[in-house]
Amino acid sequence: MSQRRGPGRAGLGLASLIVAQALCAAFFLSDALADFADIGPGALTTGYVGIEAAAALLLAAGIVVEFRMLMGLLRDQARLQRGLSIASGALEELMQGYFRDWRLTPSEADVARLTIKGMTIGEIAGLRGSAEGTIKTHLNAIYRKSGVTGRGALMALLIEDLMAEPLVADAPASPAQVGEIRSGKSGSDR
Amino acid sequence: MIGTPATAGTSAADRPRQKVRVWDFAVRGFHWLLVVAFVLNAFVTDAESALHHWIGYFVVALVGLRLVWGLVGTRFARFASFPPSVSGAMQQLREIAGGDTRPHAGHTPLGALMIYNLLATMLLIGLSGWMMTTNAYWGVDWVEALHEALVTWAEICVALHIGAVIWESRRTGVNLPRAMVTGVKDMPVDTAEGRAG
Repeated sequence: MSQRRGPGRAGLGLASLIVAQALCAAFFLSDALADFADIGPGALTTGYVGIEAAAALLLAAGIVVEFRMLMGLLRDQARLQRGLSIASGALEELMQGYFRDWRLTPSEADVARLTIKGMTIGEIAGLRGSAEGTIKTHLNAIYRKSGVTGRGALMALLIEDLMAEPLVADAPASPAQVGEIRSGKSGSDR
Repeated sequence: MIGTPATAGTSAADRPRQKVRVWDFAVRGFHWLLVVAFVLNAFVTDAESALHHWIGYFVVALVGLRLVWGLVGTRFARFASFPPSVSGAMQQLREIAGGDTRPHAGHTPLGALMIYNLLATMLLIGLSGWMMTTNAYWGVDWVEALHEALVTWAEICVALHIGAVIWESRRTGVNLPRAMVTGVKDMPVDTAEGRAG
């Protein structure tokens, strides 16, 4: 969910390359060993066995390098995943804190959440099974209660709060802490 | 302690542990009978002998039973609990790279890929070996070459499998070879149910 495209792909390509090279290395190595077993030490001087062994060695060296690259890439992805889950938790708590503060009704909070997610009025109406007029009424109530002028301002409010504090400094903030951040912020905002 | 989500990277030793019964008798019996039969036919028996052929039939029958057990068996024996999944395998690589040492209850996604690979390889070895006994394919070079190449492939994979089991045991702190003997994994409480992959 957190990665529809992008980061996952690069790792997969690299992993496939490693698997393909490992297959080639295994083939060369087993063939060289079989020749060696058949002919004996003299096999090394016939050419093919030496070339096969060298190819297997070089492939193995390449695999080691690629494997380290892959692990680095995946480590970054794992960190990103952890960061994202903390961030989405923090955003959710922040939103709930704001919605409580503005005394939004459950319906209004729902519409506000969908609006912040970027859905149009028509889409929200379809999702909630209500008329567009109803959604517009909700939106007006949200803007009136929050004192912001529109969708962009609503999002800017959240983003501003998230960027003001380091997200991953501590364990995810408790609702009480979010409340503190909020009240401290709104004082200077209005 | 119990109930708080495990943070990735916490050392496995300082969390409460629990014994989880994962491998039933059929899974363990299949595993070790396959080990014995494969070692006998790869290294001990004479390829021309009747014994080699009978052990080959035995292996195919064993895999056949395992396939059935994968559909009707206990929870962790079922294929549904370890579907072949590239994205699952990548996620496991991500856990390894990110230092997440929480063990899986059943087969891991990478382990699952190896299982399907070995099951298919065993069947193909049996098939090509049987073809060598038929009038139509007796003495045909490519059948014999295929049979031998598949055995080499299986040997490489078994070596990889053993290496991976040892490595994963050390990494997650769960003794996997012992689990395949006793059927029980001794693992941290918070991962016993949470991650049944």
